[in-house]
Amino acid sequence: MLRFIAGRLIVVLSVGLTLSIVTFFLLNYVIDPAQAIAGEDALFEEIEQIREQYGFDRSITVRYFEWFSGIFKGDLGISYYWNKPVISLLIDRAPETITLALMSVSVTILISIPLGILAALNPNSLIDRIALGIAVTAQAVPNFWLGLIMILIFALAIPIFPVSGDKTFFHFVLPSIVLGASSVPAVMRLMRTGLLDVINADFIRTARSSGFYGWRLVFNHALRNALLPVVSVLAVQLGNKFGGSVITESVFAINGLGRLALESILGADIPTVQILVFVFAIIFLFFNLLADILNAYLDPRLRL
Amino acid sequence: MSKLKSLILTLLISLMFPINVFADKSDDTFVAAFSRELTQLDYHYGTKTEFLILGDMIDSGLFYVNREDLSYVPDIASDYKIVDDTTIDINLRKNAKFHDGSNVTADDVVYTYNFIVKNEKNRRSKKIKGWMESIEKTGKHSVRFKSKYPYANLFNDLYRIKIRKNGIMGTEGNWNDSAQLNELNGTGPYKVVSFDPGVEVVLVRNDDYYGGPKGMPAIKNVIIRSIPDMGTQQAELMSGGIHWMYNVKKDIGEAMAKTGKADYQLGPSLRVGFLVLDAGGYSGEGNPITKLDVRRAMNHAINRDSIAKNLIGGPAKAVHTACNPVVFGCFQDVKKYEYNPEGAKKLLAKAGYPNGFDLDLWSYRDKEAAQAMAEDLGKVGIKVNLKHGKLSALNKARKNREIRAYFGTWGSTASPDTATISNIHWRDPAKGDRNLSGNPKVNELMLGAEQTLDVEKRKSLYAQGLKLIADQAYWVPLWSYSEGVLSSKSIDFKLDPDGYPRLWNITWK
Repeated sequence: MLRFIAGRLIVVLSVGLTLSIVTFFLLNYVIDPAQAIAGEDALFEEIEQIREQYGFDRSITVRYFEWFSGIFKGDLGISYYWNKPVISLLIDRAPETITLALMSVSVTILISIPLGILAALNPNSLIDRIALGIAVTAQAVPNFWLGLIMILIFALAIPIFPVSGDKTFFHFVLPSIVLGASSVPAVMRLMRTGLLDVINADFIRTARSSGFYGWRLVFNHALRNALLPVVSVLAVQLGNKFGGSVITESVFAINGLGRLALESILGADIPTVQILVFVFAIIFLFFNLLADILNAYLDPRLRL
Repeated sequence: MSKLKSLILTLLISLMFPINVFADKSDDTFVAAFSRELTQLDYHYGTKTEFLILGDMIDSGLFYVNREDLSYVPDIASDYKIVDDTTIDINLRKNAKFHDGSNVTADDVVYTYNFIVKNEKNRRSKKIKGWMESIEKTGKHSVRFKSKYPYANLFNDLYRIKIRKNGIMGTEGNWNDSAQLNELNGTGPYKVVSFDPGVEVVLVRNDDYYGGPKGMPAIKNVIIRSIPDMGTQQAELMSGGIHWMYNVKKDIGEAMAKTGKADYQLGPSLRVGFLVLDAGGYSGEGNPITKLDVRRAMNHAINRDSIAKNLIGGPAKAVHTACNPVVFGCFQDVKKYEYNPEGAKKLLAKAGYPNGFDLDLWSYRDKEAAQAMAEDLGKVGIKVNLKHGKLSALNKARKNREIRAYFGTWGSTASPDTATISNIHWRDPAKGDRNLSGNPKVNELMLGAEQTLDVEKRKSLYAQGLKLIADQAYWVPLWSYSEGVLSSKSIDFKLDPDGYPRLWNITWK
């Protein structure tokens, strides 16, 4: 098992490193950072001043290695856009994104698990089709559109939630629903399939013959077994939420890592974008790794 | 189970009560939204318009742009005297104070300019160092500036540099660039109460403000929120969460106004659009644009009135000069090229291109307008390959002398002088890459107008320069732009002639 985890960790770090190189060179190729920082109507002198100040007049390779070696000294760099250490930006913004990610996964669970159970208990029925319809719709609707529709309904027409911001728990409700909705189909379908498989298993027949039936049978015997693969998918979905928060946080003006990523890309804040891409990748890969470990733990064949 | 029940009950009860409690007239709090984040408070470290707006609210310079006639008027300065072409004496207001209560003196002004010039990290260092020879204290409340050469756009810089308290940014060799980024001891009509970078800045009226040309603000509390998404800003405006948003496009603004919950104003802006033509042949051999008739044909081919009216909207108008007609020195009596596609075809034939030619037209904004121009040029035979992309890509190609024609715009935010647009666009080609005229006379006239303080002489030089540019069709001047603002019905906001939003002048209705 340890060998398996070590192998996966090497893959995670290699992907992270490759991503950092690709991001750095792409950003510098596509954007003139000095112009982006200075703005559209900046004077020539201002742009040149910024170019010299941040060392953009040096070669990309030199700058990349400088940045990379800094990481090993614990220096993640200074944000050009915010004029403060990138590490402090991450620390400031992470709580909002973690809250949003956890709440949105909770929304996914609250919607997809009951839907999956209902669909599995009534296969090929109207309920099954409605559940499938909800799931497909949730996946098909883009985040930014769903966000604005939720604002229109629950903040303007029926003003029970705030339009934007992140000061209270209520500010996170609508964005969590928006972000959580996109994961509903994957989890719901897995729940449905898993439960269908378990319901037809021998041990459920045995339980039934012992007098268990209805919801008691589902909750006490079937669900526990059907949930195992769902848990590993939820781990992956949690990783997805960090990267997926970019649009949702911007629409709802939540001051988290996703919005920071968007601001940094638009402002050509290369040190911040570099670290964020790296962090998002590591988070995503970490949760994938967690899912792999869970799967490997449950199914020893995967460890071979 | 009872715990779960009580939790659900609490949640339901809390949902029944309105949680959206908004700031408004009742607590004298005005809320504005910016799409771009305010990352710091110190204007000297930001170059974008949002920083200037905030800077004018919490800071002051020696001069200010008067909202009515767009002239430069003394702000922290009380009066001034032009001693000679390179010397200006400035007296300071004796009642100007920093937010910490201390008086603004000549020492503060001298310190501020020395800090700007000597601190290489400051974004305005090069600009000011370019003209400033020295600054000296001539009294407790008076200073003398000496410039390296007569510099007419001096007042714009004296407006943009905000006065800092002596010593607050450190000392020479040990400057502290971050000293005022998150808390600011300014001199403006508002003081900073709190600042959450990228989220909001909360301001309160500075009751000790000296008045000055900005006037005493009517509203006591101001919150500026950063809301990146325009759709969310609209929703906030409709729900009463904010009172004001800007950069609103015509169709959106008009649709919002129809709801009856907001007012939409579309006013003029100092931004102008133009095509820069490689008349000097910098982009290589076989360039048809080096021929005067071709450039004139391009001027006749584009229906700028129609594009300005239908695509830019509001008070946007066709312009015929290489500057915005409302700014100082923008002489209007120049050769005008009316929309005349037939005439354009004849000029092309005369130049040896009866079947037109292929042209790469670069652009970076207003894609629809760029496409409309490409279509107009196509009608006279110029087959345009529109290269629409990022500004940095255009800049790179221009630097590499790969561009024959590009669609540029210039904002001149709160800088109502032709010098602002001409300085960067008509420089000596050795010092910049935007002057593609290939005619040194243009540089001599247009930048010459910056090097004298004699107003009449300046006007005369600009008149000659702008006439020459129009005669030789070095540009295709296109249109002025407009600025759209959505505001709540509860506030009284008027767009000024330069489109620069002076939020400190807003009042409640």
